[in-house]
Amino acid sequence: MSRHEPIGPQGLRQDGRRADQLRNINCKPSVLSQSDGSSYIEQGYTKCLAAVYGPRETRQKAQILHNKALITVEISLAPFSMSERKKRKKFDKRLLEIASAVKQTFEPIIMTNLFPRSQIDIFLQILQYDGGMTQICINAATLALIDAGIPMLEYVCACSAGIVEDTTILDLNNSEESLGIPELTVALLPQSQKVTLLQLETRLHVDKLESVTAMAIKGAKEVYKKLDKTSRDYIGDLLQKSNPT
Amino acid sequence: MSTQTYEAETFRKLQPQEYLRKFLLKEVRPDGRELKQFRQTTVNLGCISTTNGSSLVRIGNTTVVCGIKAEVSVPKQTSTKEGYLVPNVELSPMCSPKFKPGPPSEHAQVLSENINRLLKSASILDLNTLCIHEGSAVWVLYADIVCVNYDGNVFDACVIGLITALSNVKLPKATFAEEEGLVKATEELLIPLNLSRLPYPATFSIFDGQYLLVDPTEVEESVAHEVITIICDEAGQICTVWKVGGISCTPKHLEKCISIARERYIEIAAIVENEEKSNNLI
Repeated sequence: MSRHEPIGPQGLRQDGRRADQLRNINCKPSVLSQSDGSSYIEQGYTKCLAAVYGPRETRQKAQILHNKALITVEISLAPFSMSERKKRKKFDKRLLEIASAVKQTFEPIIMTNLFPRSQIDIFLQILQYDGGMTQICINAATLALIDAGIPMLEYVCACSAGIVEDTTILDLNNSEESLGIPELTVALLPQSQKVTLLQLETRLHVDKLESVTAMAIKGAKEVYKKLDKTSRDYIGDLLQKSNPT
Repeated sequence: MSTQTYEAETFRKLQPQEYLRKFLLKEVRPDGRELKQFRQTTVNLGCISTTNGSSLVRIGNTTVVCGIKAEVSVPKQTSTKEGYLVPNVELSPMCSPKFKPGPPSEHAQVLSENINRLLKSASILDLNTLCIHEGSAVWVLYADIVCVNYDGNVFDACVIGLITALSNVKLPKATFAEEEGLVKATEELLIPLNLSRLPYPATFSIFDGQYLLVDPTEVEESVAHEVITIICDEAGQICTVWKVGGISCTPKHLEKCISIARERYIEIAAIVENEEKSNNLI
């Protein structure tokens, strides 16, 4: 099997996954003590921490919104998180773009009208990167927002999918991304089955779009199951601890 | 019952100093520790696989991640055999509500500079060992320390993180091909660094000029401004004494700090040794 073939003869991908298999997700809410809500999520080798502060006083008076809360999202990439160390500037344009996508994803979901004139900050820290930046940021932020107790309409779960020749593949890792496989990221509201974000940055034949989107949505539903189970288990634990009888 | 806890909480917010004083009168700290007790410390080595060496250190709730990446660079004209070791501390707005987004704060730069000075003055790593080919190629080690959760005593966590990550570093075997002017390196990472000493720190706060608080939390740091950090190595030799703020520190305090710092050294060394053992088993 050649190193550059994304799918081997047995139908397995370079990292041994089947085409429609997610990477292993490991997540934990409430990992940090200083923030109002936090989470840690590992998807394969991509590791991300999220911290949510707020609703709190708006830092800059000029930014106050009188009818709803202001949401800010900041993503930082640890300098050692990629295979090549690049001292990226804090305001790297690519990161800014993803941060803005995450922000716009959550704006309609968080019930911001309940907190006028205040601010909700979402900080995301990528500790190790192996593909799927947008999706992991959204998933981590969802879990952290739940942990912070910020009212949301429902979960937001994101997943990416791509296509190699005629096979749609789920949840691309970094080496697959760098092969130039078309990648589509979907953020799904799993209960109402609505899509809040859909991002495709490479060329893809219009006939294939539907199957790739369906695959990404299927992945997002699996992510939802995992996130929901994690937060329910966590709340169950908390309940048990606070009331041992 | 519930009104009582509410009152204590209000008292803490309105009179943080008096609140702490009430505890210290009973020789106990707000988090239940004794005055000379450190918080639980854990070290996790090699947790980030994109690095040459990494470690995650927790002291109580304070958490830092240190990752070291090696790159090839050209040495300075004046010292043709010396590599570089560049430490950098990041205090992102994520780790505490105190920090704002933007360029590195003064606090972060002070930490970076202190660590840089410690590396130089204690000559922890002989930079000549980073030489690949004299005058043309040397290793640069970028040590990035990211603070993830800030609950006081971050300097200790940073130093422990840096030293353990350095001892976790594995470099590829590199050779310099003179004709092509290129450095060739093997895929496997094999060569560990040769560290001449492994210093570990201990930090103290002095409150009211009489209470010596070991390993202060964020709350304690914010009311007791006098901070003493002592870094000593495996032989019990002192590498750094750093004391800032306040005027109440007496030589007696300092003596006590040094003896506690030596005990603390043994404690940390045992934690690190344990982690290294379990890491090697995997």
